[in-house]
Amino acid sequence: MRLLRLFGAIVSISLRRELAHRANLIFQMLLTVVDIASGLAALRIVYMQTDTLAGWALAEAVVLLGTYQVVSGVLSTFVEPNLTWFGNQVTSGELDTLLLKPVNSAFLATLGTCAPLGLSQVALGTVVVAIGISDLDAGPTASSIAGWLVMLGVGIAITWASRVLVASLSFWAPQTQLDVVYEALWQFGRYPVSIYRQPLRFVLTWVLPVAFISTFPARALTGGASPVLLAAGLAVGLGAVAVVILVWDAGLRRYTSATS
Amino acid sequence: MRMLRLLAGYVRRYFLEVMAWRSFLVTLVVNQSVTPIIGLAVWSAALPGNTIVTTYYVALLAVQLMTVSYEHHTFSNGIYAGDLSAELLKPQPVVLTTLGVNVALRIWHVLVGLPLIVVAGLVAGVSFDSSPVLLAMPAVALAAALRFLFTYVLALSAFWTERAHGVVGLGETLIFLLGGAAAPITLFPEGIRPLGEALPFRAMLGFPAEIASGSLSEMQVLEGYGWQACWMAALAISAVLVWRSGVRRYTAVGG
Repeated sequence: MRLLRLFGAIVSISLRRELAHRANLIFQMLLTVVDIASGLAALRIVYMQTDTLAGWALAEAVVLLGTYQVVSGVLSTFVEPNLTWFGNQVTSGELDTLLLKPVNSAFLATLGTCAPLGLSQVALGTVVVAIGISDLDAGPTASSIAGWLVMLGVGIAITWASRVLVASLSFWAPQTQLDVVYEALWQFGRYPVSIYRQPLRFVLTWVLPVAFISTFPARALTGGASPVLLAAGLAVGLGAVAVVILVWDAGLRRYTSATS
Repeated sequence: MRMLRLLAGYVRRYFLEVMAWRSFLVTLVVNQSVTPIIGLAVWSAALPGNTIVTTYYVALLAVQLMTVSYEHHTFSNGIYAGDLSAELLKPQPVVLTTLGVNVALRIWHVLVGLPLIVVAGLVAGVSFDSSPVLLAMPAVALAAALRFLFTYVLALSAFWTERAHGVVGLGETLIFLLGGAAAPITLFPEGIRPLGEALPFRAMLGFPAEIASGSLSEMQVLEGYGWQACWMAALAISAVLVWRSGVRRYTAVGG
């Protein structure tokens, strides 16, 4: 409860800070609009040559792309601003200031600041999902929308967990900076995982769980949520969060701070 | 002649400098390779059995690595930090250092990315004929020059705005969509294909890959080279003009 209140305060402060720079705001919106429009245009060109892409119709692929944008927006709003170049905080000892504060360190280190401009991507992503839904042959039922929301929550939890795990590597190997790789591999989520060939598909589902951020939520919305998928998703999501908490604590034990 | 010797010196220097952070370089190569690889996967799924499109994307991966440009990092950041002051004092064109870094990074990208290109080619079952590949070589060189000039001009926006990285990002999105990474220009719908062929983005990325994959007739190859030449002149002139008006705005404190 206290963490939620704190989180609210963090968002509100960051929002006020960013609204002060209006030119930045407009430019960022423009970038987001261009990015999303180009994604939609790319999909449209593909579907001019074919009716289905690995079993996905155009409207379904649009729902998937919108879901991808929503989760990407959450990532760039709440998680990335904290963890980009996290390794530098570990090597320079800047992490000390964080550890001294009377709040859970994993929370503060991974969600302690945010970039609310990224919420424009969440909003536009939702619009894209709505466009996709309106083109679907059979409209969504209440249960499929609920399934989408649950899987979206799972996707966001896995996103946070995977990003924190990548950052936590810095405790053991401060020289490996995987920020750019993470961002690059993230792009694989733009399309259904079924288009990739087998070894890659397995990796993208279970090792780098890109499938959970877009393919599975979109499947829940367009094809109806199967109870098995929902249960598996919830289990994986909770498991990922538990792993992060364990790894974070183990990592902190290796952290030697700036002055020691 | 002196310029060339200086340039070669800078390339050698930065080639060695980059070697010091080669593990980070691997992450850069992965980052650059993702869009062509996704394109390969998407289009192999959309048009199963079409060997031209798979060949095209393997070639595109190679072109992408040979034409990478990071002037927003290597040049704009120098404007923001004031490092440009030292460059301005050297008895040589300022662009020479930036160009040296650019070439060194491209050599590294190709070296590190070569295994990836080979694996992608083998997995996709692609085979190249020698004559289209030879025909594509000058186009690769022109594309590399164009991509450098384009990114350099956008990076020069750092003289006016704090958002040069965003400006270059916008340019990269355009190259992705209209340069032949999202979809080959040859598969664009009839109505907008002539536009896609004429815009500079295809000249920077997709055109050499189209030649190498044998998707173009001789006439189309000639036309493409024509567009590359036009854009070369246009971008070179704008680079000079933008640099001249930008450098007058430059101010820095200390030294």
